[in-house]
Amino acid sequence: MTVLIVVIAVVVVVVVAWLITRSRRTDDGVEGFRRQIDALSSDARRPTIDRGLGEEESEEADGSGGTDAQGDADDGA
Amino acid sequence: MARDLAIDLGTANTLVYMKGRGIVLNEPSVIALNRQTGEVLATGREAWQMIGRTPGYIVAVRPLRGGAITDFEITERMIRLLLQRVGVSRFTRPKVVICVPSAITEVERRAVTDAARRAGAADANLIEQPMAAAIGADLPIDEPVGNMVIDIGGGTSETAVISLGGIVALEAVRVGSFDIDAAIQNYVRREHGIAIGERTAEEIKVAIGSADPTHDENQAEVRGRDLMTGLPKTVLLTPEEVRFAIEDVVSSIVSSVIRCLSKAPPELSQDFLVRGMYLVGGGGLLRGLAERIERETEVPVRMSNVPLEAVVLGAGHVIEHYEALRSMFMGARH
Repeated sequence: MTVLIVVIAVVVVVVVAWLITRSRRTDDGVEGFRRQIDALSSDARRPTIDRGLGEEESEEADGSGGTDAQGDADDGA
Repeated sequence: MARDLAIDLGTANTLVYMKGRGIVLNEPSVIALNRQTGEVLATGREAWQMIGRTPGYIVAVRPLRGGAITDFEITERMIRLLLQRVGVSRFTRPKVVICVPSAITEVERRAVTDAARRAGAADANLIEQPMAAAIGADLPIDEPVGNMVIDIGGGTSETAVISLGGIVALEAVRVGSFDIDAAIQNYVRREHGIAIGERTAEEIKVAIGSADPTHDENQAEVRGRDLMTGLPKTVLLTPEEVRFAIEDVVSSIVSSVIRCLSKAPPELSQDFLVRGMYLVGGGGLLRGLAERIERETEVPVRMSNVPLEAVVLGAGHVIEHYEALRSMFMGARH
Protein backbone atom coordinates (compact mmCIF):
# COMPACT_ATOMS: atom_id res chain seq x y z
CA MET A 1 0.00 0.00 0.00
CA THR A 2 2.79 2.39 0.97
CA VAL A 3 4.66 1.55 -2.22
CA LEU A 4 1.54 2.34 -4.28
CA ILE A 5 1.15 5.72 -2.57
CA VAL A 6 4.81 6.55 -3.20
CA VAL A 7 4.52 5.56 -6.88
CA ILE A 8 1.35 7.67 -7.31
CA ALA A 9 3.04 10.61 -5.56
CA VAL A 10 6.08 10.36 -7.83
CA VAL A 11 3.88 10.16 -10.94
CA VAL A 12 1.89 13.21 -9.79
CA VAL A 13 5.08 15.18 -9.13
CA VAL A 14 6.51 14.24 -12.55
CA VAL A 15 3.28 15.21 -14.35
CA VAL A 16 3.05 18.55 -12.51
CA ALA A 17 6.73 19.27 -13.22
CA TRP A 18 6.22 18.45 -16.92
CA LEU A 19 3.16 20.72 -17.13
CA ILE A 20 5.02 23.61 -15.47
CA THR A 21 8.05 23.15 -17.75
CA ARG A 22 5.83 23.00 -20.82
CA SER A 23 3.97 26.20 -20.01
CA ARG A 24 7.24 27.94 -19.17
CA ARG A 25 8.66 26.88 -22.55
CA THR A 26 5.62 28.37 -24.31
CA ASP A 27 6.13 31.60 -22.36
CA ASP A 28 9.85 31.52 -23.17
CA GLY A 29 9.03 31.31 -26.89
CA VAL A 30 6.76 34.35 -26.74
CA GLU A 31 9.13 36.25 -24.46
CA GLY A 32 12.17 35.33 -26.53
CA PHE A 33 10.55 36.43 -29.77
CA ARG A 34 9.42 39.70 -28.18
CA ARG A 35 12.94 40.34 -26.86
CA GLN A 36 14.38 39.61 -30.30
CA ILE A 37 11.96 41.97 -32.07
CA ASP A 38 12.57 44.69 -29.45
CA ALA A 39 16.33 44.30 -29.88
CA LEU A 40 15.91 44.70 -33.65
CA SER A 41 13.89 47.90 -33.42
CA SER A 42 15.36 51.02 -34.98
CA ASP A 43 15.64 52.68 -31.54
CA ALA A 44 17.66 49.75 -30.19
CA ARG A 45 19.94 49.76 -33.22
CA ARG A 46 20.63 53.48 -33.29
CA PRO A 47 23.33 53.48 -30.54
CA THR A 48 25.21 50.61 -32.23
CA ILE A 49 25.21 52.33 -35.63
CA ASP A 50 26.20 55.71 -34.17
CA ARG A 51 28.94 54.13 -32.08
CA GLY A 52 30.24 52.09 -35.00
CA LEU A 53 30.48 54.97 -37.40
CA GLY A 54 31.82 57.38 -34.78
CA GLU A 55 34.76 55.10 -34.01
CA GLU A 56 35.61 54.60 -37.65
CA GLU A 57 35.41 58.27 -38.50
CA SER A 58 37.79 59.14 -35.67
CA GLU A 59 40.17 56.36 -36.85
CA GLU A 60 40.14 57.82 -40.37
CA ALA A 61 40.77 61.27 -38.97
CA ASP A 62 43.89 59.88 -37.28
CA GLY A 63 45.11 58.74 -40.69
CA SER A 64 45.27 55.13 -39.57
CA GLY A 65 42.08 53.87 -41.21
CA GLY A 66 40.04 53.89 -44.41
CA THR A 67 40.97 52.87 -47.91
CA ASP A 68 42.63 54.81 -50.71
CA ALA A 69 41.12 52.93 -53.61
CA GLN A 70 40.20 56.07 -55.55
CA GLY A 71 43.68 57.49 -55.19
CA ASP A 72 45.23 54.26 -56.38
CA ALA A 73 42.78 54.11 -59.25
CA ASP A 74 44.02 57.44 -60.52
CA ASP A 75 47.59 56.22 -60.36
CA GLY A 76 47.10 52.98 -62.15
CA ALA A 77 44.32 53.37 -64.64
CA MET B 1 38.33 40.90 -19.49
CA ALA B 2 38.07 40.82 -23.30
CA ARG B 3 35.32 42.72 -25.01
CA ASP B 4 33.22 40.58 -27.33
CA LEU B 5 33.75 41.04 -31.05
CA ALA B 6 31.83 40.94 -34.32
CA ILE B 7 33.85 40.16 -37.43
CA ASP B 8 32.88 40.68 -41.05
CA LEU B 9 35.28 38.18 -42.55
CA GLY B 10 34.95 39.22 -46.16
CA THR B 11 36.76 38.03 -49.25
CA ALA B 12 37.97 41.59 -49.84
CA ASN B 13 38.05 43.27 -46.42
CA THR B 14 37.82 42.29 -42.79
CA LEU B 15 36.07 44.61 -40.35
CA VAL B 16 35.98 44.15 -36.59
CA TYR B 17 33.40 45.67 -34.24
CA MET B 18 34.19 45.67 -30.53
CA LYS B 19 31.32 45.60 -28.06
CA GLY B 20 30.80 49.02 -26.50
CA ARG B 21 33.39 50.67 -28.75
CA GLY B 22 32.39 50.37 -32.41
CA ILE B 23 34.43 49.52 -35.51
CA VAL B 24 38.04 49.13 -34.41
CA LEU B 25 39.59 47.56 -37.50
CA ASN B 26 38.96 47.78 -41.25
CA GLU B 27 41.64 46.15 -43.38
CA PRO B 28 41.97 44.12 -46.61
CA SER B 29 41.77 40.34 -46.02
CA VAL B 30 45.32 39.78 -47.18
CA ILE B 31 48.31 38.15 -45.54
CA ALA B 32 51.93 38.18 -46.73
CA LEU B 33 54.09 35.18 -45.92
CA ASN B 34 57.67 34.13 -46.32
CA ARG B 35 57.33 31.23 -48.75
CA GLN B 36 60.33 29.39 -47.32
CA THR B 37 59.80 29.73 -43.57
CA GLY B 38 56.03 30.26 -43.50
CA GLU B 39 56.59 33.30 -41.30
CA VAL B 40 53.93 36.04 -41.46
CA LEU B 41 55.48 39.25 -42.82
CA ALA B 42 52.45 41.52 -43.01
CA THR B 43 48.67 41.55 -42.84
CA GLY B 44 45.92 43.89 -43.92
CA ARG B 45 46.69 47.06 -45.81
CA GLU B 46 50.44 46.53 -45.69
CA ALA B 47 50.08 43.05 -47.22
CA TRP B 48 47.56 44.33 -49.79
CA GLN B 49 50.14 46.79 -51.10
CA MET B 50 52.45 43.84 -51.77
CA ILE B 51 50.02 41.93 -54.06
CA GLY B 52 51.72 41.24 -57.38
CA ARG B 53 54.83 43.19 -56.35
CA THR B 54 56.71 40.69 -54.20
CA PRO B 55 60.07 38.99 -54.71
CA GLY B 56 60.01 35.23 -55.16
CA TYR B 57 60.30 34.33 -51.50
CA ILE B 58 57.28 36.41 -50.42
CA VAL B 59 53.70 35.53 -51.24
CA ALA B 60 50.78 37.88 -50.57
CA VAL B 61 47.51 35.95 -50.59
CA ARG B 62 43.82 36.33 -49.87
CA PRO B 63 42.94 33.28 -47.78
CA LEU B 64 39.23 33.58 -48.62
CA ARG B 65 37.63 33.11 -52.01
CA GLY B 66 33.92 33.29 -52.71
CA GLY B 67 33.40 33.98 -49.01
CA ALA B 68 34.86 30.61 -48.09
CA ILE B 69 38.17 29.67 -46.56
CA THR B 70 40.53 28.35 -49.20
CA ASP B 71 43.47 27.93 -46.84
CA PHE B 72 42.43 27.01 -43.33
CA GLU B 73 45.85 27.41 -41.72
CA ILE B 74 46.52 30.84 -43.21
CA THR B 75 43.01 32.05 -42.32
CA GLU B 76 43.50 30.93 -38.74
CA ARG B 77 46.78 32.84 -38.57
CA MET B 78 45.18 35.92 -40.07
CA ILE B 79 42.30 35.82 -37.57
CA ARG B 80 44.76 35.28 -34.71
CA LEU B 81 46.76 38.35 -35.76
CA LEU B 82 43.58 40.41 -36.17
CA LEU B 83 42.40 39.42 -32.70
CA GLN B 84 45.83 40.26 -31.26
CA ARG B 85 45.66 43.69 -32.88
CA VAL B 86 42.36 44.44 -31.15
CA GLY B 87 43.68 43.34 -27.77
CA VAL B 88 42.77 39.65 -27.52
CA SER B 89 45.42 37.63 -25.71
CA ARG B 90 45.81 34.10 -24.36
CA PHE B 91 44.14 35.21 -21.14
CA THR B 92 41.30 37.27 -22.61
CA ARG B 93 39.09 35.13 -24.78
CA PRO B 94 36.04 36.99 -26.14
CA LYS B 95 32.81 35.70 -27.62
CA VAL B 96 32.89 36.26 -31.37
CA VAL B 97 30.13 36.61 -33.97
CA ILE B 98 31.33 36.15 -37.55
CA CYS B 99 29.41 37.13 -40.69
CA VAL B 100 29.56 34.59 -43.49
CA PRO B 101 27.77 34.11 -46.82
CA SER B 102 24.47 32.31 -46.33
CA ALA B 103 25.34 29.78 -49.02
CA ILE B 104 28.40 28.31 -47.32
CA THR B 105 28.40 24.60 -46.69
CA GLU B 106 28.42 22.87 -43.31
CA VAL B 107 32.11 22.05 -43.77
CA GLU B 108 32.92 25.69 -44.54
CA ARG B 109 30.93 26.85 -41.50
CA ARG B 110 32.90 24.54 -39.28
CA ALA B 111 36.15 25.73 -40.83
CA VAL B 112 35.31 29.35 -39.91
CA THR B 113 34.23 28.62 -36.32
CA ASP B 114 37.20 26.30 -35.75
CA ALA B 115 39.59 28.92 -37.11
CA ALA B 116 38.13 31.57 -34.76
CA ARG B 117 38.25 29.27 -31.71
CA ARG B 118 41.83 28.21 -32.41
CA ALA B 119 42.73 31.86 -32.90
CA GLY B 120 41.55 32.73 -29.39
CA ALA B 121 37.76 33.07 -29.34
CA ALA B 122 35.97 31.56 -26.33
CA ASP B 123 32.87 30.98 -28.41
CA ALA B 124 32.28 31.57 -32.11
CA ASN B 125 28.87 31.89 -33.76
CA LEU B 126 27.96 32.68 -37.34
CA ILE B 127 25.36 35.00 -38.82
CA GLU B 128 24.29 35.32 -42.46
CA GLN B 129 25.70 38.38 -44.21
CA PRO B 130 22.39 39.62 -45.70
CA MET B 131 20.73 39.46 -42.28
CA ALA B 132 23.61 41.37 -40.68
CA ALA B 133 23.53 43.85 -43.58
CA ALA B 134 19.81 44.48 -43.09
CA ILE B 135 20.33 45.13 -39.37
CA GLY B 136 23.31 47.42 -40.04
CA ALA B 137 21.55 49.29 -42.85
CA ASP B 138 18.80 50.14 -40.35
CA LEU B 139 15.99 48.52 -42.34
CA PRO B 140 12.76 48.01 -40.34
CA ILE B 141 13.20 44.25 -40.15
CA ASP B 142 11.37 44.12 -36.81
CA GLU B 143 8.12 44.93 -38.63
CA PRO B 144 5.93 42.56 -40.68
CA VAL B 145 6.90 44.23 -43.96
CA GLY B 146 9.08 43.13 -46.87
CA ASN B 147 12.66 44.37 -46.64
CA MET B 148 14.95 43.45 -49.49
CA VAL B 149 18.70 43.72 -49.24
CA ILE B 150 21.26 43.06 -51.98
CA ASP B 151 24.75 42.48 -50.60
CA ILE B 152 27.46 42.44 -53.27
CA GLY B 153 30.77 41.48 -51.77
CA GLY B 154 34.16 40.52 -53.13
CA GLY B 155 33.32 36.88 -53.76
CA THR B 156 29.57 36.50 -53.28
CA SER B 157 26.36 38.35 -54.09
CA GLU B 158 23.36 37.66 -51.91
CA THR B 159 19.82 38.93 -52.08
CA ALA B 160 17.44 38.36 -49.19
CA VAL B 161 13.88 39.20 -48.31
CA ILE B 162 13.58 39.80 -44.57
CA SER B 163 10.50 40.29 -42.42
CA LEU B 164 9.94 40.06 -38.66
CA GLY B 165 13.58 39.35 -37.93
CA GLY B 166 13.87 36.35 -40.25
CA ILE B 167 14.91 35.54 -43.81
CA VAL B 168 11.87 34.79 -45.96
CA ALA B 169 13.59 34.29 -49.32
CA LEU B 170 17.23 34.11 -50.25
CA GLU B 171 19.28 33.85 -53.40
CA ALA B 172 23.06 33.71 -53.48
CA VAL B 173 25.65 33.39 -56.21
CA ARG B 174 29.38 32.99 -55.77
CA VAL B 175 30.10 35.95 -57.97
CA GLY B 176 31.31 39.32 -56.73
CA SER B 177 33.54 42.28 -57.39
CA PHE B 178 36.67 40.12 -57.69
CA ASP B 179 35.03 38.37 -60.64
CA ILE B 180 34.54 41.81 -62.20
CA ASP B 181 38.28 42.47 -61.75
CA ALA B 182 39.11 39.06 -63.25
CA ALA B 183 36.81 39.74 -66.23
CA ILE B 184 38.63 43.05 -66.88
CA GLN B 185 42.01 41.28 -66.63
CA ASN B 186 40.91 38.63 -69.14
CA TYR B 187 39.46 41.20 -71.54
CA VAL B 188 42.62 43.34 -71.60
CA ARG B 189 44.75 40.24 -72.09
CA ARG B 190 42.52 38.89 -74.89
CA GLU B 191 41.69 42.09 -76.78
CA HIS B 192 44.78 44.22 -76.19
CA GLY B 193 47.43 41.56 -75.64
CA ILE B 194 48.48 43.07 -72.32
CA ALA B 195 48.89 41.37 -68.96
CA ILE B 196 47.74 43.42 -65.98
CA GLY B 197 47.65 42.58 -62.29
CA GLU B 198 44.54 42.25 -60.14
CA ARG B 199 45.19 45.57 -58.42
CA THR B 200 45.36 47.38 -61.78
CA ALA B 201 42.14 45.65 -62.85
CA GLU B 202 40.48 46.86 -59.66
CA GLU B 203 41.75 50.38 -60.32
CA ILE B 204 40.27 50.28 -63.85
CA LYS B 205 36.93 49.17 -62.39
CA VAL B 206 36.92 52.01 -59.88
CA ALA B 207 38.02 54.59 -62.45
CA ILE B 208 35.82 53.80 -65.47
CA GLY B 209 33.84 50.64 -64.69
CA SER B 210 30.05 50.75 -64.91
CA ALA B 211 27.11 48.39 -65.27
CA ASP B 212 25.01 50.89 -67.24
CA PRO B 213 26.01 53.95 -69.31
CA THR B 214 26.57 57.01 -67.12
CA HIS B 215 26.71 60.72 -68.00
CA ASP B 216 30.39 61.27 -67.05
CA GLU B 217 32.43 58.73 -68.96
CA ASN B 218 36.17 58.97 -69.57
CA GLN B 219 38.75 56.73 -71.13
CA ALA B 220 41.56 55.32 -69.05
CA GLU B 221 45.21 54.71 -69.81
CA VAL B 222 46.13 51.17 -68.83
CA ARG B 223 49.73 50.17 -68.33
CA GLY B 224 50.78 46.54 -68.40
CA ARG B 225 53.18 44.04 -69.97
CA ASP B 226 52.88 43.30 -73.69
CA LEU B 227 52.37 39.56 -74.05
CA MET B 228 54.20 39.44 -77.41
CA THR B 229 57.27 41.55 -76.68
CA GLY B 230 57.39 41.36 -72.89
CA LEU B 231 57.86 45.13 -72.75
CA PRO B 232 55.79 47.64 -70.77
CA LYS B 233 52.94 49.04 -72.89
CA THR B 234 50.11 51.55 -72.50
CA VAL B 235 46.68 51.24 -74.13
CA LEU B 236 43.47 53.26 -73.92
CA LEU B 237 40.42 51.53 -72.50
CA THR B 238 36.89 52.88 -72.96
CA PRO B 239 33.95 52.50 -70.54
CA GLU B 240 32.04 50.62 -73.28
CA GLU B 241 34.83 48.04 -73.42
CA VAL B 242 34.76 47.60 -69.64
CA ARG B 243 30.96 47.22 -69.68
CA PHE B 244 31.30 44.57 -72.36
CA ALA B 245 34.04 42.80 -70.39
CA ILE B 246 32.02 42.60 -67.16
CA GLU B 247 28.60 41.97 -68.72
CA ASP B 248 28.47 38.27 -67.79
CA VAL B 249 29.22 38.98 -64.13
CA VAL B 250 26.73 41.86 -63.93
CA SER B 251 24.03 39.74 -65.64
CA SER B 252 24.63 36.95 -63.17
CA ILE B 253 24.12 39.33 -60.23
CA VAL B 254 20.98 40.89 -61.74
CA SER B 255 19.53 37.44 -62.52
CA SER B 256 20.09 36.42 -58.92
CA VAL B 257 18.13 39.48 -57.72
CA ILE B 258 15.29 38.63 -60.10
CA ARG B 259 15.21 35.01 -58.85
CA CYS B 260 14.97 36.26 -55.25
CA LEU B 261 12.11 38.61 -56.16
CA SER B 262 10.26 35.71 -57.73
CA LYS B 263 10.61 33.67 -54.53
CA ALA B 264 9.08 36.37 -52.30
CA PRO B 265 5.52 35.83 -51.03
CA PRO B 266 3.02 38.14 -52.80
CA GLU B 267 2.13 40.00 -49.59
CA LEU B 268 5.74 41.08 -49.21
CA SER B 269 6.34 41.64 -52.95
CA GLN B 270 4.03 44.64 -53.01
CA ASP B 271 6.09 46.27 -50.25
CA PHE B 272 9.18 46.38 -52.49
CA LEU B 273 7.45 48.66 -54.99
CA VAL B 274 6.99 51.24 -52.23
CA ARG B 275 10.02 50.62 -50.03
CA GLY B 276 12.50 49.59 -52.73
CA MET B 277 15.53 47.33 -52.42
CA TYR B 278 18.68 48.31 -50.53
CA LEU B 279 22.12 47.82 -52.02
CA VAL B 280 25.07 47.20 -49.68
CA GLY B 281 28.63 45.89 -50.04
CA GLY B 282 31.62 47.23 -51.93
CA GLY B 283 30.43 45.66 -55.20
CA GLY B 284 27.26 47.73 -54.97
CA LEU B 285 29.38 50.85 -55.51
CA LEU B 286 29.94 49.92 -59.16
CA ARG B 287 28.61 52.86 -61.17
CA GLY B 288 25.27 52.23 -62.85
CA LEU B 289 24.59 48.96 -61.03
CA ALA B 290 21.67 50.31 -59.00
CA GLU B 291 20.18 51.82 -62.18
CA ARG B 292 20.68 48.55 -64.08
CA ILE B 293 18.95 46.48 -61.37
CA GLU B 294 16.16 49.06 -61.16
CA ARG B 295 15.68 49.00 -64.94
CA GLU B 296 15.53 45.22 -65.16
CA THR B 297 13.35 44.60 -62.09
CA GLU B 298 11.19 47.73 -62.21
CA VAL B 299 11.66 48.02 -58.45
CA PRO B 300 13.34 51.11 -56.94
CA VAL B 301 16.91 50.49 -55.74
CA ARG B 302 18.39 52.57 -52.94
CA MET B 303 21.97 52.72 -51.77
CA SER B 304 22.52 52.14 -48.07
CA ASN B 305 24.07 55.04 -46.12
CA VAL B 306 26.74 52.64 -44.87
CA PRO B 307 27.38 50.26 -47.79
CA LEU B 308 30.80 49.08 -46.63
CA GLU B 309 30.09 48.91 -42.89
CA ALA B 310 26.48 47.65 -42.86
CA VAL B 311 27.40 43.99 -42.35
CA VAL B 312 29.79 44.51 -39.44
CA LEU B 313 27.44 47.04 -37.83
CA GLY B 314 24.65 44.47 -37.99
CA ALA B 315 26.85 41.80 -36.45
CA GLY B 316 28.01 44.38 -33.91
CA HIS B 317 24.40 44.95 -32.91
CA VAL B 318 23.98 41.20 -32.41
CA ILE B 319 27.04 41.13 -30.13
CA GLU B 320 25.63 44.11 -28.18
CA HIS B 321 22.34 42.21 -27.64
CA TYR B 322 23.85 38.74 -27.54
CA GLU B 323 21.23 36.98 -25.42
CA ALA B 324 18.19 38.53 -27.10
CA LEU B 325 19.50 37.86 -30.62
CA ARG B 326 21.25 34.53 -30.23
CA SER B 327 18.37 32.84 -32.04
CA MET B 328 19.62 34.58 -35.20
CA PHE B 329 22.82 32.55 -35.29
CA MET B 330 23.18 30.11 -38.17
CA GLY B 331 21.97 26.73 -37.02
CA ALA B 332 20.02 28.14 -34.04
CA ARG B 333 16.74 28.30 -35.94
CA HIS B 334 16.72 24.76 -37.33
